[in-house]
Amino acid sequence: MMRNDPIKHVFIWPAVLVVLAISIFPLIYSLTTSFLSYRLIPPIPPRVVWLGNYATLLQEPRFWSALFTTTLIAFIAVGLQYAIGFGVALALNARVPGERLFRVALLLPMLLAPVAVALVARMMFNPTMGPLNQFLSKFGLVNLPFLTNGHWALACIIAVEVWQWTPFVILMMLAGLQTLPEDVYEAAELENASAWQQFWGITFPMMLPISAAVVFIRLIESYKIMDTVFVMTGGGPGVDTETLTLFAYQEGFKKFNLGYTSALSFLFLIAITIIGVTYLALLRPHLEKRR
Amino acid sequence: MSGQGLTGLSPWSRRLVAVGVLAWCLITVFPLYWVVVTAFKTPPGVVGGPTYIPFVDFTPTLQPFIDLYQGIRGEFFRTFLNSTIVGLSAAAIATAIGAMAAYALVRFEFKVRFGAGLVFFLLALAGYLFFNATFGLTRPQALLLAFPIALVAAVIANRLPLPGPILGNEDILFWFVSQRMFPPIVTAFALYLLYSEIGRLGFQLIDSYVGLTLCYVAFSLPIVVWLMRDFFEAIPIEVEEAAMVDNVPSCRIFIGIVVPMSMNGLLATFMITLAFVWNEFLFALFLTNSRWQTLPILVAGQNSQRGDEWWAISAAALVAIVPMMIMAGLLSRMMRSGLLLGAIK
Repeated sequence: MMRNDPIKHVFIWPAVLVVLAISIFPLIYSLTTSFLSYRLIPPIPPRVVWLGNYATLLQEPRFWSALFTTTLIAFIAVGLQYAIGFGVALALNARVPGERLFRVALLLPMLLAPVAVALVARMMFNPTMGPLNQFLSKFGLVNLPFLTNGHWALACIIAVEVWQWTPFVILMMLAGLQTLPEDVYEAAELENASAWQQFWGITFPMMLPISAAVVFIRLIESYKIMDTVFVMTGGGPGVDTETLTLFAYQEGFKKFNLGYTSALSFLFLIAITIIGVTYLALLRPHLEKRR
Repeated sequence: MSGQGLTGLSPWSRRLVAVGVLAWCLITVFPLYWVVVTAFKTPPGVVGGPTYIPFVDFTPTLQPFIDLYQGIRGEFFRTFLNSTIVGLSAAAIATAIGAMAAYALVRFEFKVRFGAGLVFFLLALAGYLFFNATFGLTRPQALLLAFPIALVAAVIANRLPLPGPILGNEDILFWFVSQRMFPPIVTAFALYLLYSEIGRLGFQLIDSYVGLTLCYVAFSLPIVVWLMRDFFEAIPIEVEEAAMVDNVPSCRIFIGIVVPMSMNGLLATFMITLAFVWNEFLFALFLTNSRWQTLPILVAGQNSQRGDEWWAISAAALVAIVPMMIMAGLLSRMMRSGLLLGAIK
């Protein structure tokens, strides 16, 4: 039942005002700036260049490489998070021995500061003094260039992302699993369906909506990745691990090239919107079939 | 509860699954263990290669923490205080006004014309350009002027019979949540410029308590509204209806009945928001430089400042991590009681 009472405005306006002020303001500001050639250092007066910044950016290989790197990190990391997270959630839901103890430990990483996690990762991945090096040297792999080789560095960043955010997937999937109705499984049991068949026939389709939501949230969040890369490699070696946010930061905060940075952040916004909309469009038929 | 997943498996594969979960758990815990032990090592204990067990492999020392406290590696004490103050106040404010908005979205009906939203955006944009170009106002002045005009116009436009779809509560909720989709760099950078230009007008927002807290409140609100809406929806409406029959005003229903009934949800939301603010890096990087620097910035700086002095880096990381570890413990208790289940659908 919905009430109608003038007091509702008192309830909703503070939140709306704050969000409007802090999100629409900068949006308009950077949208208009993105059509200007505007630098703070050296200070030249702004000049309207319309789509000039966008054109320059689209021809800039560094932009495409940053977009590619970000996409790579996001998709691989989220795929792994989902696979591992779903698996662990299934196991926890099935009351694996010691499941209570696992829960606290498994929740931990997602609440920790990514910056601190990245620092810890730097220690773990240190090629001479790190524990991982010691472990791998037992297999004859000594002093691997974890953070100094482009491909290795990318893999390490993905590993850290997986480490930190799989708990989120576990948490959400576990909550979803606990809402599944039991009688369907009992019926499947009577039909002598194997565990494998039960998973693909019942659990997976029923978990599809929540899976879609979890993957969506993680994908969008992964595209914003910045702190982990900033601390672990700083975008290096070269620009091999530079993500979009980091690229924008370098351009904006180091070079104070305002128009260019604003255009970059808008391209970023467009990219995220395209990915989000495509994702939802691809999933829609699967989600609606179930209803 | 449907603990069905493993019943069809043989004892052997059951064991295999348990081993797999255990392995993942070890992977999760080991880096944490590592940072804790490293924080108590002496410099030679680190450089000599990996050592694992205190008192056996190396002699623990408190020196890294003493260094931190004495401010040899940056003002940790004050930064810790900054993080705590900003985190607590931003989380409290966001939870309060976010809960109010969520309650309004659950219990009251809202109708916003799509046209009104469009009017707002276009007027704000046009007004900003107009004031900036013709009156020669500075950019923040123009924005600050255009904003209320656009807002008033939008509120009026909402009463007019404009064509176009009418948006309901679900759409407003979607608008809140969609704010989370924005890459923060878009806003962080623009906010930095806006803050610094407002600073030139004489009201300092960069590197200030107000500026940082305001920004964090705005960015926590989408999550708060989303989570709290589910908590409020789970509350039975009968109690409120009974109170309404007795003509209790809505704000007293909210404070006197609804808030106490959803205390757990509020607490959980508060803690999640606090964790979010505590760990936030990008905005703090842009909007602070010395006085109101927060922990993530200082911790990130440890790395480049002195190279691989791991004992110090670990101690610094630990300062940022431990409060959240305690919170993870608290939250997992709530999770076990099934409290967070309602929040996730």
